[in-house]
Amino acid sequence: MEVTWLHLVPLLPLIGAAICGLVGKWLPKGWVYAVALASVLLSFLIGLRAFIGLGEQAPLFHELWFNWFSAGSLRVDMAFSFDRLSGALTLVVTGVGFLIHVYSVGYMEEDPGYWRYFSYLNLFIAAMMTLVLGDNLVAMFVGWEGVGLCSYLLIGFWFTDEEKAYAGRKAFIVNRIGDFGFLIGIFILFNQVGTVGIAQINSAVLPLGVASIAALCLFIGATGKSAQLPLYIWLPDAMAGPTPVSALIHAATMVTAGVYMVARLSHLYVSAPGVMAVVAVVGVLTALWSALIATSQNDIKKVLAYSTVSQLGFMFIGVGVGAFFAGTMHLVTHAFFKACLFLGSGAVIHGLHGEQDIQRMGGLRKYLPSTRTTFLVATIAITGILPISGFFSKDEILGQALHTRAFSFLTLTPDGSTRLTWLGPLIYAVGSFSAFLTSFYMWRCYFLTFSGEYRGPESVHPHESPSVMTLPLWILAALSVIGLVLGLPQAWVHGTGLQHWTWEHFTDGVFSRPRGGAPEEFSPYLGYGIALIVGWAGWACSYALYFKRGLAGDELLTARIHVLRGALANKLYVDELYDFLVVRPFWALARGLFRLVDATLIDGLFVNGIPTLIAWVGAMARRFQNGDVQRYLAVTALGVAALLYVFLVRG
Amino acid sequence: MAYIESHLLTLVTFLPVLGAILIALLPRGEGGQHKGIAFLFSLLTFLLSIALWTGFRAAPGRYSFEQKTEWAPALGFSYHVGLDGVALLLFLLTTFLGPIVVLSSWKFIQERVNVYCIALLLLETAILGTLASLDLVLFYVFWEAMLIPMYLLIGMWGSDRRIYAAVKFFLFTFIGSVLMLLAIFWLWSNSGRKSFDYAELLNAGVVDVSTQRWLFLAFALAFAIKVPIWPLHTWLPDAHTEAPAAGSIILAGVMLKMGTFGFIRYAMPLFPQAALAFAPAIAVLGVIGIVYGSLMCMAQTDLKRLIAYSSVAHLGFVMLGLSALTPEAVSGAVLQMVNHGISTGALFLMVGYLYERTHTRDLAAYGGLATVAPAIAATFLVITLSSIGLPGTNGFVGEFLVLIGTFTSRVLAGAVPLAVIGATGVILGAVYMLWLYQRVFFGPPRKAAGHGLQDLTVREWFTVAPLLLAIVVLGIAPQPLLSAIKEPVDAVVQRVSRADRAPPVRKAEAQP
Repeated sequence: MEVTWLHLVPLLPLIGAAICGLVGKWLPKGWVYAVALASVLLSFLIGLRAFIGLGEQAPLFHELWFNWFSAGSLRVDMAFSFDRLSGALTLVVTGVGFLIHVYSVGYMEEDPGYWRYFSYLNLFIAAMMTLVLGDNLVAMFVGWEGVGLCSYLLIGFWFTDEEKAYAGRKAFIVNRIGDFGFLIGIFILFNQVGTVGIAQINSAVLPLGVASIAALCLFIGATGKSAQLPLYIWLPDAMAGPTPVSALIHAATMVTAGVYMVARLSHLYVSAPGVMAVVAVVGVLTALWSALIATSQNDIKKVLAYSTVSQLGFMFIGVGVGAFFAGTMHLVTHAFFKACLFLGSGAVIHGLHGEQDIQRMGGLRKYLPSTRTTFLVATIAITGILPISGFFSKDEILGQALHTRAFSFLTLTPDGSTRLTWLGPLIYAVGSFSAFLTSFYMWRCYFLTFSGEYRGPESVHPHESPSVMTLPLWILAALSVIGLVLGLPQAWVHGTGLQHWTWEHFTDGVFSRPRGGAPEEFSPYLGYGIALIVGWAGWACSYALYFKRGLAGDELLTARIHVLRGALANKLYVDELYDFLVVRPFWALARGLFRLVDATLIDGLFVNGIPTLIAWVGAMARRFQNGDVQRYLAVTALGVAALLYVFLVRG
Repeated sequence: MAYIESHLLTLVTFLPVLGAILIALLPRGEGGQHKGIAFLFSLLTFLLSIALWTGFRAAPGRYSFEQKTEWAPALGFSYHVGLDGVALLLFLLTTFLGPIVVLSSWKFIQERVNVYCIALLLLETAILGTLASLDLVLFYVFWEAMLIPMYLLIGMWGSDRRIYAAVKFFLFTFIGSVLMLLAIFWLWSNSGRKSFDYAELLNAGVVDVSTQRWLFLAFALAFAIKVPIWPLHTWLPDAHTEAPAAGSIILAGVMLKMGTFGFIRYAMPLFPQAALAFAPAIAVLGVIGIVYGSLMCMAQTDLKRLIAYSSVAHLGFVMLGLSALTPEAVSGAVLQMVNHGISTGALFLMVGYLYERTHTRDLAAYGGLATVAPAIAATFLVITLSSIGLPGTNGFVGEFLVLIGTFTSRVLAGAVPLAVIGATGVILGAVYMLWLYQRVFFGPPRKAAGHGLQDLTVREWFTVAPLLLAIVVLGIAPQPLLSAIKEPVDAVVQRVSRADRAPPVRKAEAQP
């Protein structure tokens, strides 16, 4: 159904951003808060109203806002579409976004740059909504780059710190490498389909080769934005930004854009089954890789950052094995519990006057009761030791991976003798191990932060945050529990009122099915059992090491696996490797080329090397330096006259 | 009224000269008056040129505001001016930048103010005339007339190595133009009625393909130096670095575009078969410009030199788009010309303001300026984003159209790899521009931020604000521009991309 109000969802926060950014410095503080919060809240309410109207009025709202640009056969519109997937995402982004805005009021209380901060935050919501709602790839790309800009601005928010400014730049450039892939993907699809509209692309017949290259290129974009191997390196550094930003942008919303994009283009990806295998494998490797690193980090935000990378890997497993609903469901539940965890860590940091090292925390359950409880709930959700939201969504992904038929017809050898049927189960096994690690490092983080005795300096007196910060925590913790509804198995809810609220049912018909077909109906109970065992095993290891021993747990572990833990604590030296292999050679190449080609070859040899030319230069310079401008002008005029004379004679 | 309407283009073109004459008549000492008159006339020129935008009517093969007055009919040249969409955009870009340029140097230029103002105004008329000409003699006169005031601007008000830079600039561009002049003569003697009129030469065409190639090369060399196309670019960093800020703004803002304009107006349509044959070579040089120019930026330690090299990269996009010969790519190339004028013009403007305050261009001396001068930091950021083509700013649409149009080109050989390599410019642009931005504005305040660096003054705001506005408005609503250039772009794409199928036939009436 064509509507005329959809553009308000991104436009209102954009106006908010403009007001806060242009005049916020001179407005009273309360006004800035009011503008920033109201614009996001209004967006949320519009989204909510539309969401309720979705089923009753139309399956899809669409708005052609204006024609952005057209040339030749290319037509790019600013057009939005609001269906069940983009609608749900709208609610998550504006809803969680609003909570984080509220929280930020408390968190940024003392920062003189608060107006700038809220301007960027609003701008982010606007860009993210453009990304989510954009009905063509270019509109989506606008949001895609827009969120990247906000990320850059917010990571480097405290720009006087060189390291933080560098982290922002690193994020932007690594993302641009991904965006390069995204752009090429758009070109390929436009070349093939003749339009950039997502709906048209999703109904076009795409040859395998074209679909594969396009899907792969777009996935490069996703590995940048969603911090997957090999482009994940910017996300841990992105923790330099204010913590609410880490919650909003670098956990709940922006980084899931890659998953969303793959799900949005499900038709393209099922047309390229080989690429889906790549997506799933990259996902599971990233899940494992960063879960490993997370076990040895001591900065509470770094733990959560690597955890985010790992959980994004799980989402990519979901969409990669063709279970787009599972991947996107985890996206939603993850937004709740990870936002809760990050905001919780923010409350801890706030309560400890900037301390981020969990080695100097401990025993905080006494001082920060609300933070502790909500953090606990979210930790239970992410580790899946009790069946709340994260348990169901993660297990759905792993169950779908185990039973997937998306790869059953893929072959490794030309004669088709080796089929990739083992890939799904392998992903399941590695994924389950990553889930064990998840449980281990998250409980480590929880125990070292909240259990035991306080280990920080005497001068710091931990205190609970104001209610403007704890209230969002409670709401997010509640959502982390309630989110379980999304993942309930069909058999449990059949015939009840909850039937329409499971994510699988809700998104029915939104995604394409993989070429091998959806997996046969399978009973979830075995998977649930294994998941519980895995989760509790992680808890038990962590409990034995960190609850019982505190920091000595780390020492014990280090004594056993010295080299591995050293490598993990140094993030497996990936940054150093990239620096050595890519960054330094590249800058050296630039300097070398400059010296060799521009300075020596072109200028030295050709331009200045010719002696007559040098003589000329000298003569001209001397003549010029007597300062007689008029004579020079006269000479030029004579020259022009002479030229005219030349063709007078010829005429 | 009717007189003004029919002579509007001429009036706008020569209005700056009127200002220059007025300044010349004034007593020498009064610097403020001279600047005032220069500002007034450049502003009037801009305001009057708005009428060109509103009165413009796009029509295939027709020029708006056409005016033809016989000058020397026996020799075949006349005063013939008119605008098509492409020329119109660059024309407006020039008049738009005019008052900004005058205002930008209000404080910096204190010596020989009258000559300076005269040079600026003459330069403006020369550029406007180059764009408006529809007669090749007229075009050439204006084309060469651009050189002299710019030479003076660099040579008289430049920094330490100004003489070297000015002479290098002059020789490079002059050598190129001489060959073009010979080619123009050849065309004249070849055309049936011995005419320099653009439309007649276009109709007459050049039948012999190998002759076409020589003539194309002669024109192309002149234009390629101006653009500049790699490897003819080394005059540019020197000229930019040594020129005063106003000179750099005009140079980057509009003068470089005279080269690309020359390609789309003259070299390509006049010699379509040659243009088609050379398209892959020019596209390769364009891509080299993008990548190589970006790498050069990364190797610089001088603020202005870095931005100068970024022009090489940005103009590489334009050349790639022009040689892709699809409506998308060529439209994008023209749009990119305008966008580059705005964003790079703005960059040089800001760098000029920084230099006025710190008296250094050395990047190592900069750092932490965002703390002491937040307004400069904020405006510089917006301009940086425009320069790296962030969607929502003007820079995106042009680059995007160039790349997507190149990627889908069926005419250009090797279009896909060229587009892919060209697209790496998107990454590289972010690398050097954000590096520059961090270097200057972030981190703890360094030497240059030391002695109470002043933030933007009111006068400076007046120069920056229009540019910021243009960056945002053209980013959101580029379509009016694209509509204006549709006719000439389609015409040149048709003419060149189909040149190998239907060779131009000499019209019967053109036969002697």
